[in-house]
Amino acid sequence: MSTTGNAIATKTTEVTRDQRSFVERLQKTGDVKIVDKQVDWDLELGAISRRMTEIDGPAIVFKNIKDYPGQSIFVNPISTWRRAAVTLGLPAHASIRNIYDEYIRRDSNPIPPKEVKDAVCRDVIIRGKDVDVTELATPLIHAGDGGRYLGTWCIVVSKDPDTGWMNWGTYRFMLHNTQYLSGWPFAPSHLGRMLREKYLPQNKPMPVAIVIGADQSSHLASTSSTRVGRDEAMLAGGLAGFPIEITKCLDSDLTFPANAEVVLEGEILPDKIAMEGPYGEYPGYRSGEMGAGILMKVNTICHKKNPILSMDCTGYKDCSSTVTALGGGVAIRRSLERAGVPVTGVYVPSEGAVHLCIVGVPKGGKEITQKVLDTLTGHRTYMTKILVVEDDVDIFNLGEVIHAWATRCHSGLAKLGGDMSHTHFQEKLGADMRSTNFQELEGSRGGTHIKYVEGSAQQLTPCYDQEERPRRAGAVAAFDVSFPPAWDPTEVPIKARFNCMYPEEIQKKVLDNWTAYGL
Amino acid sequence: MEYLCHVKHLQDLQEGKKIVLTIRDLTPGKRKYLARVARVEVSRKPEALAQWDKLWAHSVVGYKDSQPWGMKVGEELGLLVPGKPYDDIYQALAKM
Repeated sequence: MSTTGNAIATKTTEVTRDQRSFVERLQKTGDVKIVDKQVDWDLELGAISRRMTEIDGPAIVFKNIKDYPGQSIFVNPISTWRRAAVTLGLPAHASIRNIYDEYIRRDSNPIPPKEVKDAVCRDVIIRGKDVDVTELATPLIHAGDGGRYLGTWCIVVSKDPDTGWMNWGTYRFMLHNTQYLSGWPFAPSHLGRMLREKYLPQNKPMPVAIVIGADQSSHLASTSSTRVGRDEAMLAGGLAGFPIEITKCLDSDLTFPANAEVVLEGEILPDKIAMEGPYGEYPGYRSGEMGAGILMKVNTICHKKNPILSMDCTGYKDCSSTVTALGGGVAIRRSLERAGVPVTGVYVPSEGAVHLCIVGVPKGGKEITQKVLDTLTGHRTYMTKILVVEDDVDIFNLGEVIHAWATRCHSGLAKLGGDMSHTHFQEKLGADMRSTNFQELEGSRGGTHIKYVEGSAQQLTPCYDQEERPRRAGAVAAFDVSFPPAWDPTEVPIKARFNCMYPEEIQKKVLDNWTAYGL
Repeated sequence: MEYLCHVKHLQDLQEGKKIVLTIRDLTPGKRKYLARVARVEVSRKPEALAQWDKLWAHSVVGYKDSQPWGMKVGEELGLLVPGKPYDDIYQALAKM
């Protein structure tokens, strides 16, 4: 297990250059299992993978899949901090803080990609009427899902026709029929906005490519929460420490990592749709957000001979929540810094499924809690719980954070705000709460700051009902996890901890003699 | 033949009504779960279950109805549904 504390910075090794060398690296660290026994793509493979995720087990390569001789599936590439560390070339035991620090360092030093003429995925090329997506090993991952998901750990490439910006994003896609995939990039996502603003008004199909089984730096960059216009291929190079080789698609000028195992080229249709979902997603539920997706016609499939496809067995503690914890946490930190919040760290624990964010600050209170809340409720409001924690607490240690939250945050102090105009919220609040007419918190003391949002909430959030989801309506609560700044410092409760309640000489004596005590 | 479908509300499936559904073929093999759109009639009557195709209905979150329906395909409507990306598929199906 990765430790949570301030481990000494560790030496890095070269980052792996493709998926196969990443698997080899994981074999050396003990973080992957190879399964040669035949498994059924219809639920069995998904069930094994889901269980392995939930016990924080290794990744798996399934080499013998029913109906698909010669094809393999690499499952859960980065669903643990150990594999996140290996992705960055760190020792597998690197601490979460080390991993964050290394990610931030590399994220700040992007490296432009290098374009090459060919791609290794072109051993087999299938085009036009010969395209049949069922020829690719595609599992039904969870019982009750709407279909078989091919795009889970994938890079979806699209391009802004006006600016030329090439977007790499990770969005889900499932088999609809032999030449069609239905997908659900969240409507406010980069791809969703590009489609709605740049292609649909002209009734034009949008060229896309779905890339499967690329190097992990590219996948990691694809899942990052970057701003519009930022080149994810450059970010991938920064994360890798060397230029990522990219190449052009056969049917368009979209570019993708040349080391990928499989690429599907096609277009999002502007005038046709199909059923999409439901699907067990990263929040750890199948929430019923189905019914408003997009449709891709696949025109070309290229793949390596005997390809190794990649898959995220989504659900509780999946790859999505682990890598979003990393890239998303760093993006949140940058947003807060731009807003002038003196942030000391941000942690988005995978246990919180991209709904819980822990923000470290030097000093808590009402103003800073409200500022954090306002900064993190923009056009995409993914976090529903934000803990603003003072830096005497290690934000990467969930035990410490929960202890501080449970004991320092006053449950009787709250502030409501945001877009509460919709009657739905008024009904939700109930007559008793409305009549109390929450007042501004007195003095500098914070509490629970609640903000209602309309049009920006995450539709996958399980606690939102079927009426809220289509409107992308929801709420965020930010908790001031600190004692009031105005309290007399000599009267602030002292932590009953070993390192707080004993003189240094006693601590030293105890530590020096620990084994001598027979402990 | 056996199929499955997902519906917004399980009570939307009613006997005596013709409804448009996305149905997925449950025939084992590589093409299991592929979809097409059809106007169908459903029934809980035992004779329908015996004579027609079997349809397993799932709710909006994938909850599987414990009893299958008998399903008779009245009209094949192809693979795709007219509409724009992010349109409500249920409303689009209802218009077909």
